[in-house]
Amino acid sequence: MDFRFTQEEEGFRQEVREFLDKELPSDWPGVDPDMYHEDAFDDIHEVSREMQRKLAAKGWLGLTWPKEYGGQAQPLWKQIILEQEMTYRGAPGLDAYEFIGGMGDLLLQFGTEEQKQRYIPRMVRGEAKGATGMSEPNAGSDLASLQLKAELQGDYFILNGQKTWQSAAHRADFAPVYVRTDPEAYKHRGISILIVEYNTPGITMRRLEMMSGLGAFNEMFFDNVKVPKENLLGEINGGWKITMAALSHERSYGIMLLININRDLDLLVQYCKETHVNGKPLAKNPLIRNRLAEVAIQLEVARNLGYRLNYLALTGGDVVATANHIKVLGGVVTQRVAQLGMQILGLYSQLGPVGGNWRQMDEKKDKWARLGGRMKHLYLSTVCNTIAAGTTEVARNAIAMGLGLPREPKPQPKK
Amino acid sequence: MDLSYSEEQEMLWKSARDFLANKVPKTMVREMEEDEKGYVPEVWKEMADLGWIGLPFAEKYGGGGFSFLDLVVLLEEMGRACLPGPFLSTVVLGAMPIAEWGTEEQKQSILPKVCKGDAILTLALTEPSARYDAASVQVKATPQGDDYVISGTKLFVHDAHIADYVIVAARTSESANPEDGITLFIVDGKSPGISTVLLRTIAGDKQCEFTLDNVKVPKANILGQPNQAWDMVKKIIEWASMAKAAEMMGGAQQVLEMTIDYAKERVQFDRPIGSFQIIQHYLADMSIDVDSSRVSLHKAAWMLSEGIPCTKEVSVIKGWLNEVYRRATAQSHQIHGAIGFTKDHDLELYFRRAKAAELFYGDADFHREIVAQQLGL
Repeated sequence: MDFRFTQEEEGFRQEVREFLDKELPSDWPGVDPDMYHEDAFDDIHEVSREMQRKLAAKGWLGLTWPKEYGGQAQPLWKQIILEQEMTYRGAPGLDAYEFIGGMGDLLLQFGTEEQKQRYIPRMVRGEAKGATGMSEPNAGSDLASLQLKAELQGDYFILNGQKTWQSAAHRADFAPVYVRTDPEAYKHRGISILIVEYNTPGITMRRLEMMSGLGAFNEMFFDNVKVPKENLLGEINGGWKITMAALSHERSYGIMLLININRDLDLLVQYCKETHVNGKPLAKNPLIRNRLAEVAIQLEVARNLGYRLNYLALTGGDVVATANHIKVLGGVVTQRVAQLGMQILGLYSQLGPVGGNWRQMDEKKDKWARLGGRMKHLYLSTVCNTIAAGTTEVARNAIAMGLGLPREPKPQPKK
Repeated sequence: MDLSYSEEQEMLWKSARDFLANKVPKTMVREMEEDEKGYVPEVWKEMADLGWIGLPFAEKYGGGGFSFLDLVVLLEEMGRACLPGPFLSTVVLGAMPIAEWGTEEQKQSILPKVCKGDAILTLALTEPSARYDAASVQVKATPQGDDYVISGTKLFVHDAHIADYVIVAARTSESANPEDGITLFIVDGKSPGISTVLLRTIAGDKQCEFTLDNVKVPKANILGQPNQAWDMVKKIIEWASMAKAAEMMGGAQQVLEMTIDYAKERVQFDRPIGSFQIIQHYLADMSIDVDSSRVSLHKAAWMLSEGIPCTKEVSVIKGWLNEVYRRATAQSHQIHGAIGFTKDHDLELYFRRAKAAELFYGDADFHREIVAQQLGL
C-alpha cells in the first residue's frame, strides 16, 4: 500500500497548476463543477470557452481518448489529476462530468466508427459544448418512464415531446437524447439514445430560473424534429443497457462536488482566522472550531473514499458501490459545508449578489456582503446536490441492492 | 389546562387566512422582493381597516385591545402567506415598545397613526458587529442642549428606508458594565443626517444600512429612562423572537401541507412517491417537528400575554423553530426534487424565508446560550 503519488503524477499535477496560474485571473473565485455559472452568465461562459480552447491547445481535452480521433491516449491517472486540480481551482472549460464522461466516453464506448469520427475530433479541438437529454416532467427519478417519442420514418427519426431540467442545453451544440422508440415495450425496454444536434429545426427551449437565481437549465420542446438514423447510439431499444454501462463507469460527479467544496471550506477557515467579533477571532470560538472540525472530518473521509474510487477505476475494479457512496456523500457533505458557512457568517450570510463572489457586486446593495455572497449562493445551490444526476434516495436503493438486500415487494395492482 | 383557541382567535385566524389567500398571492410576494418599498399600500390600508395593525394596542389609541397571544395567532397566518411588508417592524419592533414604556405624549403622538396604518416604525439595534448583546451597541448619542446628537451606523435594520419613526439604541454613557449606559431614542425617520442603503438579502426582505450623521433628537424623544434601556431591549428581543417564531410556525405548517399534497400526487415508478416508506418517514418526521412546535409557541405566547416571565420559553421556541423551519424546507425540497428547485415553484420562497427568520433576533446559538443561562449553567 502506498498513498503517495508518483513523481510522474506530481510532475503532471505541477504542470496543471502552472497552466491554471497562467491562464486564470489571479482573483478567480472559482465556478462550480455543475456548470451552472458557466451556463447562466454570458461573461463566465466566454471565459469557459476560452479555457476550453486553451485546454484543447495543450491536448488536455480528451486526454485519454484514442489518437485516431485526436486524443492523446494518455493514462487515466492524468485525467484524474487534471480533474482534481481544475475542480479545486474552480476552473471552467473541462466539464468532466457531462462533456468528457457523459458524451465523449459514451461515444467512444458505444458509437460507430463514423459517429466517433464525426464528433470526437470536434470535441477534442474545443469546438463543441455538450449536454445530456434525460429528464422529463414525468421522468425524473423514474427515468425509464420517459415519453419523448422517436419514430423511424425512412432515413430519419422524428422526435415529438418534451424534456425538462436540461442544464447547458441552451449552450450545447449536440447531446445524447434519451427517446422512446418502442411505445409498446415495457418502460426501459423501449428506450434508445440519439445524438441530436441542438440547432435542428423544431427544437425550442424555455429557460428556467433556479432558486439560486441562475438561469441555467431549460424546458425543451421537440416538434417533428428530424434526426438522421445514423445518429442512433448503439442498438435501437438498447438505450437502457448503455445507460447501465455508463453508470458503471460513473466516477466524476460526487468526487467533483467534494473537491469543489474543499475550496469553500478553506475559504471559511481563512475567514475565521481573519475575522474578529468584539475583539476575538472567530477561529478561537469553541463552537466554531468544533463545527469546522466536524465538517472537515466528514470531508476528508469522503475525499479519501474518492481516492479509492479512482483507484478502482484505474485498476479495473468494480466502481458501482463506491460511486454510489460518493454520490451520496458528495451531496450531503456539500450541504453541510454550506449550512455551516451560513451559520458562521450569521446575519451577513443573507447578503450578496446572485451567483455569489462574481463581478456582479452592486456597490450599494452588496456593499456589506462577506466572501462576495459565496455562502448564500452555496446554500441555495447545494439544495440540488442530493437531487440532480440521481437523488440520494435512488442511490441508497442501489446501495441496498448492492448489499444483497431483498427488493421491496411491488404493490399488487388493484383488481 | 385549556389548550384551545378562544372563539375570537378562531375567527381571527380563519378570516386572516381567507384575506391573505385572496389579497396576497405569491405573484405579489415575488414582486415585493424586487420592489423597493416592499409592500402594497392598498393592502396595508386594508390591514389597518381590519384592525390588524392596531391589534395589540389599547382602544384609546385606536387599537383593538387584543393580547400578544392573539397577535401570534395572526402572525402565524402571515408567515403561512409569506406576507411581505413592515408589519412586524411596525407593530412589534416599534409600536409595542412605545405602548409599553412611552410617555402619554409619545403614545398619543404615534400610536393612533400606527393603528390607522399611517405610520411605519422599526428598531435600529444591531451594528456591523451583527450581534444582539449590549457590548455591541457602540453608536454614540451625545447631549447637546435640549437634544442628543447621534452618529454612527446601524446594520440589518428592517424597513428603515420607509420608516416614519425609528427607535435607535445608542450609548449615552460609558460604564464598566456594557449593559449600563444605553438609551432608546424615538427618531423621526425624516431627520436631517439620516441615510439608508437597502441591502440585497436572501429573502428579498427590506434590511438596511442605517446611518446617522449628527442626527439631532429632542430629549423628549427618549423612550423610558436614559442609560437604562438594556432591560427594555431584552424584552423587545423576546417579543421580536416570538413574533418571528409565529411567522415561522405558519410557514412550516404550509410547507408540511404542500409536501404532503405533492407526495400524494407525484407518481414515479407507477406509484405515488408518498407510498415509498422513506418519503413517509420524512413526512412523519416533519409532522412531528411542526406539530410539536405549535404547543410550545402558544405556551410562550400565552405566558407573555399573562405577564409571566418566560425568557426560557421564548428561547426554547425560537431556538427550536430555527432548526425546524430550516429542516422542513430542506426536506421538502428533497421530496419535491427538481421542480421545487425552480423559481416557478413556491417552495423556494419558504426556504429563503426560513433562513432569514432563523437569523432574525437570534439564531440557534444565541437562544441556546439564553437557555443555558436559564438552566443555571
